[in-house]
Amino acid sequence: MKDEKEMLEYLGIDSVDELFTDIPEAVRHDMDLPAGMSELEVMGMVKDRLRKNKSLDRMVSFLGGGIYRQYVPASVYEILGRSEFYTSYTPYQAEISQGMLRALFEYQSLICELTGMDAANTSMYDHHTALGEAVRMARRIGKRKAKKFLLPENIHWDRLPVVRKYMIGSDIEIELVPFDSERGTIDPEELKGKMGDDTLGFYIESPNAFGVLEEDIKLFRDLREETGAVMIAGVNPFSLALLKPPSEWGADIVVGDSQPLGIPPSFGGPTVGIFACGKKHIRKMPGRMIGETVDKDGDTAYCMTLQTREQHIRRERATSNICTNEALSALASAVYMLLKGGRGLEETARICYKKGHELAKMIDGLDGYTAPRFTGEFFNEFAVDIPVEPADLTARAATRNLVPGIYLDRYFPGLDRTMLTAVCDTNTEEDMKLLVEVLRGVSP
Amino acid sequence: MSQIYRQARYPVHDIFQEHSVEREVTDNPLPDNIARREAPRIPDMPEYEVIRHFTRLSQMNYGVDSGFYPLGSCTMKFNPKYAELLCRETEAVDIHPYQPEDTVQGTLMIMYELQQMLAEISGMDSVSLQPAAGAHGEMTGLLIVNEFFRKKGEERNEIILPDTAHGTNPASAGMLGYKTIEIPSRDGCVDMKALEEAAGENTAAFMLTNPNTLGIFEENALQVAEIIHDAGGLLYYDGANLNAIMGKTSPGRMDYDIMHFNLHKTLSTPHGGGGPGSGPVGVSKELSSYLPVPVVGRAKGRYYLDYSLENTIGRIKGFYGNWLVLLRAYAYILREGSDGLTAVSERAVLNSNYMRKRLENVLELPYGQLRKHEFVLSGSGLKKKGLRTLDIAKRLLDYGYHAPTIYFPLIVEEALMIEPTETERKETLDGFVDALLSILDEDPETVRTAPHNTAVKRVDDAQASRDPVLSYRMRLNAK
Repeated sequence: MKDEKEMLEYLGIDSVDELFTDIPEAVRHDMDLPAGMSELEVMGMVKDRLRKNKSLDRMVSFLGGGIYRQYVPASVYEILGRSEFYTSYTPYQAEISQGMLRALFEYQSLICELTGMDAANTSMYDHHTALGEAVRMARRIGKRKAKKFLLPENIHWDRLPVVRKYMIGSDIEIELVPFDSERGTIDPEELKGKMGDDTLGFYIESPNAFGVLEEDIKLFRDLREETGAVMIAGVNPFSLALLKPPSEWGADIVVGDSQPLGIPPSFGGPTVGIFACGKKHIRKMPGRMIGETVDKDGDTAYCMTLQTREQHIRRERATSNICTNEALSALASAVYMLLKGGRGLEETARICYKKGHELAKMIDGLDGYTAPRFTGEFFNEFAVDIPVEPADLTARAATRNLVPGIYLDRYFPGLDRTMLTAVCDTNTEEDMKLLVEVLRGVSP
Repeated sequence: MSQIYRQARYPVHDIFQEHSVEREVTDNPLPDNIARREAPRIPDMPEYEVIRHFTRLSQMNYGVDSGFYPLGSCTMKFNPKYAELLCRETEAVDIHPYQPEDTVQGTLMIMYELQQMLAEISGMDSVSLQPAAGAHGEMTGLLIVNEFFRKKGEERNEIILPDTAHGTNPASAGMLGYKTIEIPSRDGCVDMKALEEAAGENTAAFMLTNPNTLGIFEENALQVAEIIHDAGGLLYYDGANLNAIMGKTSPGRMDYDIMHFNLHKTLSTPHGGGGPGSGPVGVSKELSSYLPVPVVGRAKGRYYLDYSLENTIGRIKGFYGNWLVLLRAYAYILREGSDGLTAVSERAVLNSNYMRKRLENVLELPYGQLRKHEFVLSGSGLKKKGLRTLDIAKRLLDYGYHAPTIYFPLIVEEALMIEPTETERKETLDGFVDALLSILDEDPETVRTAPHNTAVKRVDDAQASRDPVLSYRMRLNAK
């Protein structure tokens, strides 16, 4: 740019190299990347690579496992495209950032409405890391000497290893609670047996890894009451349009992922980790929170609050190291919920429930198949026992452009020939018929 | 002068109060014991009202596209629009993490190439794209440190940091149970004597950003590495300030063992009002088998998710990283190439030094002169006017600028941390400097009561924390 010369002159130097004389020769680094391209060329090359993907709109998919292909209305993209939102950063200067602050306060409020909790933060990275942080928070709010934290074996397969990483450096000992192999729920007797004075807390995931809803709500409440353990609930927020909110299961902390609410599958990221809790624990929470207050004229205003919990103030004693979160994705979820409205959300949840149950019934009628494989109630995702090797089904389904589900043998030894199938609002009656037809074709 | 900027200010509609009702869930198909009875109070609004609501909120917000955003340490540069458009492609958004690998070859290829590009930029051996943000990358890096010494059978429980470190550094170390040893700076750089004294058999790692948070390049980079390596410890590079050195030096050349990138800073992906970002981690050859899995591998012309790393720390996030952020960074690197990225750092450093020179006699500039991509001024001299740095920051908003980072780093009293980035021209930098000069000449009362031209007046954050209202529900219950 032509102003470069003026600036160099002002600085009294001939070249920008003189601004790098403090970097010793011994550490000089030359990059060897391909030469830059025009925008036209970049678009061509990247799109060319993307075309090697086969997107979900060109196949029939019943994939779930934590990522759901719920339809995302055009208006969500329109709002996310407002660059006043997406080119801003964490609203450190409240007065000039009221828009994002207000939108995030509304997101927090919406999550609280769904979960029944008092407070939510503006997001964690995803459900997995939110749970890791929640268990760490249990250490801050729970019984001081208790070390044992119970996780169910029907937790999402990738969530368990992530939580284990978040335990390094704490004195918490993770212990697993088996599931009831018939119902697919956590085994109530095993849970009871493991709960005691030494139990810091326990986690209930509902829907769990098998899509099954945990029904022993009274037991959870009683156990929490009797032992003083911290209860963490993991949810699919969409199901909460119909499901009793976790506040009524006795949850102290609620985690989950907002992905089904307005965020496309996106190869699994970014999504939004939900984190909510009761009022009395807000000062122990991780992450950013937006509070409602007033400005100097007494008008309603918003700002980040309770920042003394955070890394930039509290440093090594912060409740978490999190700084950058998933705010824009949280905004997407807020916009989505408001576009649907309370009634729309409920209606879509009902449709997913009904289609899922209809599909399970159709599959169950086929020779050799059992659906749902577990007897516990489910929302929109269920396990299916299949009579053939997964590879055989995959091969056959591929010829019809179909991905029938996720095979669980890889994650749950013993569940060979079991498939997890999810139904979203994007799945049509024709999709369901195709799945049934293909399954029928591979009966033994 | 103060009339040059006026932010939109709309009457605040309370969407919950206006549009939500208490009602019961009807026709609930779930069994009674788990069926919801009271519906959540989610507003029911016509679509056009939702759009209008958020459009108005967006107009009460300020981004890089609105104007100059010199928020130090955050690298608020222009976010190119081609990258945004690519992220709307169906083949980018409508893909599932569990669909068969042969149907996501395009994505895996891009991720594979990005791993290699980041290794090239940083001089590291190999890269994981899994961490979701810088702090998550730090945590990942320290988990690698932890696993490395566990495998070696060495118990090392200390992380050394300079007093200029970003807050996330000690917070990440603290989360993993490390004892943090903070060493003082000397002349704005690591005090080598203090470092030598601190380093020892308990040292697991030393965390540093270079240039440091004062914007000063640590010229003793290699000696620092030698001290830590001689003590048997590892060296961690916080990549927050990478925008200053691309094509000039690299963490690899400076002998770092582990580092993280902030793609939302250096590689121009948008900050999203707080996220999502992405914090890939690069490691030296010796540590490459410790990266989280999966990484993306290539064999026989096919790309695949590789779970087979021998010493892997395992998984630190669901799925494979913030793919849509990775895609943007990939497109940006393609667009710039080696020369473009080098020019980025050169211009960022030129802009920073130009502003530094214009301002160093206006406000105090502690610790010498030459800076890299950012510099830190002290507002301590404002006290005689009865002003604080906070007041200056708030008044800058009235002139249509986002404020610099303030009160960081902690070793500078009343700090103002200014990072102009490369995507600004001289006129903009001059405009900001002139605004600052003008503010210093204003009636202090005008400054103390600023801002005046933003959507709201100065916000009472003390009340927000004294009496927290974090949701509609909490507000209702408080009444």
